[in-house]
Amino acid sequence: MASQDDEFTMLFQDFYPSLCRFLECLLGGRAPLAQDLAQESFLQLHRTAWGTLPPGEARFWLYRVARNLAINEFRKTNTRYRLFDRVVEAMRPAARNPEQEYETRERKQLVLEMLQTLPEDQRAALLLREQEQLSYREIGEVLNISESKVKVDIFRARAALRERWSKKVKVAGASVS
Amino acid sequence: MNCGFTEKISSLIDGELWPAEAREVERHLLTCVRCAEARADFLSLRSQISSFEASLPGVVQKRALAKILAGGRGERKTSGAGVSWGWNWGYAAAALASIAFIGLIIGLMSFSQRPDQVAFNAPPSVPSPTVEPSPETKSSPEAEPPKADKNEKEDTPKPKATPARRPPVREPKPGEQFASIPEPAIPETIRSADAQTMTALHFEKAENLLRAFRNVRLDDTDAAAEVRYERKRAQQLIYQNMMLRREADAAGDVQIASLLDSLEPILLDIANLPDRPDEATVRVIRERVERKNIVALLQINSTALARALD
Ligand SMILES: [Zn+2]
Repeated sequence: MASQDDEFTMLFQDFYPSLCRFLECLLGGRAPLAQDLAQESFLQLHRTAWGTLPPGEARFWLYRVARNLAINEFRKTNTRYRLFDRVVEAMRPAARNPEQEYETRERKQLVLEMLQTLPEDQRAALLLREQEQLSYREIGEVLNISESKVKVDIFRARAALRERWSKKVKVAGASVS
Repeated sequence: MNCGFTEKISSLIDGELWPAEAREVERHLLTCVRCAEARADFLSLRSQISSFEASLPGVVQKRALAKILAGGRGERKTSGAGVSWGWNWGYAAAALASIAFIGLIIGLMSFSQRPDQVAFNAPPSVPSPTVEPSPETKSSPEAEPPKADKNEKEDTPKPKATPARRPPVREPKPGEQFASIPEPAIPETIRSADAQTMTALHFEKAENLLRAFRNVRLDDTDAAAEVRYERKRAQQLIYQNMMLRREADAAGDVQIASLLDSLEPILLDIANLPDRPDEATVRVIRERVERKNIVALLQINSTALARALD
């Protein structure tokens, strides 16, 4: 039992941060929610599938569950919740520690905003490719779609982002450096 | 502006072409400026996305692991006959009243729609992981209280303030899990669901915050980081809390309003903490949390609200 937990801990340390990142990008930057959902994914893994999965499958399983949890979150909260968030955001007092991490935050915000312009399935596919380095086959497995759809989705995502992105990054790069 | 090869450039940088095809595309790249540019842009895109760092304080990760290792064990046998089937018709009233409020917000905000709203309007069909519980967990009645701390839930005494009544839903047998529960279509009646969801999520977030705050150890080396993190979470919740309270007041939902009312000063206190608060300050806040039994109340109310959605 102890060694099972050790193995689980290793898997957790290896993949919890990237799962959080994946979810954060998928959810448009809602980091605490991303952390909760990542935790929930690992909790489900620990409770149910851990020990029954073939070696190497746990990671894909996690991304699959996490992505599904995220979709559920969108369904549950839908647009109005985000609108509500925005109202709250607008009413919040001005930034508290603006000088710190400002630059990083700008960049992150830019990445998030660009990603949010994509349909969810394209965004998920692109994230799994660029951040997790999964192959098309693996992405197809996680997202439950065909490899050829993965290929097209990723290409479309890139093509769509390309214009806006290069423009924005140039502007941001110019003002930062 | 794209030539016929552009799509293959995408596959090329992913290493997804057969060798012969890859060689062909690479030869093409030598002569086609457009494709060379596309390649450069795709790669720069890649570096932007892959260098994104999650906002993940180390303490959050530590805590998550501890919860999972503890929770997995405590929860294993209870996945079906779950936590508490809290249900209260009072919430339905609260939810209905919230609709007007949300309508107002949407009215206010409709001039500035975010693009992602479009992106998520039609979520793709949700695939279930081969092995199991998938997201249906979330929307199915038996399995999905607030994400964190499932095991604690079991131990938490139910305050009498929220009498639990069973909804007319059959309890699943252990092992049966979610198989028999069909994937819900995207509800047409999402409005009232949203109203409840908003309050439920708020309670859930507040509950997580207070639990975390309860666990902060001031003598830890990373205590300051932790305090900063919890402070930020509290700041994020205050305005929402105020708006929801006002709304619950207006709707005459005494129970929700009073819970929000006791939550507010606590959130304010945490939101105003210095980086290195002294023991006494923290103790006072913790004691207030304990005295009002607020964590358990939040948990039960958010669970009940979430259940009411099903
Ligand atoms: Zn070309």
